Formats: sequence, structure tokens, C-alpha cells
Amino acid sequence: MTAFVRTAMDPTRKLALFEQNVMPHLPAAYNLARWLTRNDHDAEDLVQEAYLRAFRSFETFQGVDGRAWLLAVVRNTCLTWLRKKGLHTTEEFDEQAHSAASDSPDAESLLLNQAALGSLNECLEALPVEFREVIVLRELEELSYKEISDIARVPVGTVMSRLARGRKRLQQCLAGALG
Amino acid sequence: MNCETARLLMENNDPALAQHLLSCPSCIIRTRARYFEPPPDLEGKIRQSLRRENSAPAPWRWLAIAASILLAASLAWNVAMLRSRVAPAQLLAANVLSAHLRSLAGTHLLDVPSSDQHTVKPWFNGKVDFAPAVKDLEGFPLLGGRLEYFDGHPAAALVYGRRQHIINLFTWPSATPIAEASETQKGYNLQSWYGNGMVFWAVSDLNQAELRQFVSLYQRN
Repeated sequence: MTAFVRTAMDPTRKLALFEQNVMPHLPAAYNLARWLTRNDHDAEDLVQEAYLRAFRSFETFQGVDGRAWLLAVVRNTCLTWLRKKGLHTTEEFDEQAHSAASDSPDAESLLLNQAALGSLNECLEALPVEFREVIVLRELEELSYKEISDIARVPVGTVMSRLARGRKRLQQCLAGALG
Repeated sequence: MNCETARLLMENNDPALAQHLLSCPSCIIRTRARYFEPPPDLEGKIRQSLRRENSAPAPWRWLAIAASILLAASLAWNVAMLRSRVAPAQLLAANVLSAHLRSLAGTHLLDVPSSDQHTVKPWFNGKVDFAPAVKDLEGFPLLGGRLEYFDGHPAAALVYGRRQHIINLFTWPSATPIAEASETQKGYNLQSWYGNGMVFWAVSDLNQAELRQFVSLYQRN
């Protein structure tokens, strides 16, 4: 993979390499887009757009990790779209509404209450996008801090603090939903 | 407790898990957050659009096409400009020289042989629709006049002498001024200029310095 041709590639070879290196990561791409857009239709459109963009700039792919590279394109495509729609950073996470009703929710009821599991997804969706993206990349894609820092274009330290704050908020939201 | 253990406990609905889950939000997400599956037809759609993209000319190729069109257009324009600017001037110089040579080769140097400007000038009346300035120039005796044609329009040829040399001075009216120029062709010297709506071409085998002297005398008188 290191001997990757970065300049003008033979179109057939380019397509073959792309399908081999990038195509398999469609589930990760869709999952990220779905979590960022929070609806099926836009996620599908944006993933298609991101794939086209990725293909056009395939020459810049270093041939190391197709998934992280693709997710960076998906993330940028989605955030550009959110910004255009005015959805980015307009939402304010309501700490009060999502705060824990009790400091020690009944542990057993959390486990047995199926509603709690449903509210996990709701709580994650309710997180501001900058927390949501690092949590999805870390917990669902299990990427390294470094990879997330490259994708989200923030320092590793910021990735870590966003992760910590995002988890904390999620925990509060869950406890609140259960309380 | 790691997440995998937590997952197993959770699948078995083990109550011992609860405390861990609360203390480890990361585990809750990993084990319970939804992982969205792409719609089954999405991969096919993407592959299709990639194939379309691959068969269409790449943006840089469009750029190359546009650039070559631009280049061709600018080349054509330059050639046209060259033709309209340089070629006529050079063609005219060649015509002027030919007329000079013809006048020397045959017997047709003069239609009106006269050293008197008051004879030569009226002779052009009725033959051309302009009155050429016929001048007496010291050191360059007037020999007479002749009718010429350049590019289908009539021109007056005034013939002057200097020792054994003949000077043809061609003049005709023109709306387009030409730049003052001097050149040498086949050993002949040519000088051209523009004044009072008239084009002038002086041509002779006389040396350039004396021809220039002739021209400045004519221009001053």
C-alpha cells in the first residue's frame, strides 16, 4: 500500500483500488453520518456525496487506513451540511432538563428498564455535535485518540476532554431519563 | 470489569452489571448504543455513481480541454493580428519597390517629364482625386511625374534625381496613418511616413543618409 500512486491514476486501477480500500467501510460511514444528521434520508445522501468526494481526492489517500480517511471525508461533508442548514452549534445542551433527578438511581431498574436503553440513544442524539462525533468515533468505531484528532481537526487533548464531558453529560441524561 | 464481560452479563440480564454500567458510560454506549446499518441498496447506488464519475472526464481534463480551446483561439487571434498588422506593411513595401524597379527597367519612368513643379502638379488634375505636393528641392532636381496604382488605388509618383540616382516618391491619400519607417530591401532604401492625410514612400538606390536628407527636405518645404 505504501507504493500508492498519488498522481494521475489509470481510471480502472483507481476504481479497483478505491473499491478495495474504501468501499468496505460503508457501514462505518453510514453509522457516523446517521449519528451526525440524526435522520436516515440525509445520512444516505451525505454518504453518497462523501463517497464521490473521497473518490475524487483518492490521490491524496496515503494508503494507510481507508476507514479513518473515509470517516474524515464523511465527517466534513456532514458538518458542512449541518452548518449550511444552520444546525451546527445552534442547539444548546440543556443541562437542567437532562440533569439527574437523583444522585443514586436504582441500579437494578436501570438494567431492567428497556426504556432506559431506548433513552440511551435519545440522550446520545441530544448531545451537541462536537461531543456526539467524538463519542461515536471512540465508542462505536473504536478509533484511537490520534485518529479522532485528525478526523475532527482538534488536538488530542481536546478529543479527550470532549470525550470525558460527553460521557458525563450522557450519564446525567440517562440518570435523568430514568429518574 | 471490561466491556466484553459487561456485554455477557447484560445478555444474561445479570443485576451485578448495573453498578458497573452507571460508573462506565463508555460501556453503556459500546454495548447499547445503536449502530445504524446502511440501507441495503446504498452500496449499489454508490458503486454506480463512482462508475459514472470514472467514465466522465475528470475536472482537470475539462480544464485541459478549456485551456487548449483558449490557446487555439489566442493563436488564431495572434495570426490574424500579424496578418493585419505586419503583412500589409511588408506587402506594401514590396509593391513600392516593384513599382520603383518597373519604372527603371522600361521606358516608362515619366508620364510628364518636367523640372517645373507648376507643370507637374497640374498634370495630375483629372487623373487622381488628390493634389500631390510637388516641391522643388535643393540638390534633388525634379525630373517629372507618373501615375501609379497600389492596391487598386491611384498614386502619384514624383521622380527626383540625385547625380545618377533616381528617387521615386509615391504618395496617395489614406485615412489610416502609418508609422514613419525606413528599411532596406534588396539594396534599395525605402522611407515611409504620413502627413496631411497622405501616405508617402520614397524609394531609391541612393544611400540611406542622402535619402533621409531628401525626405527631410521634402517634409520641411
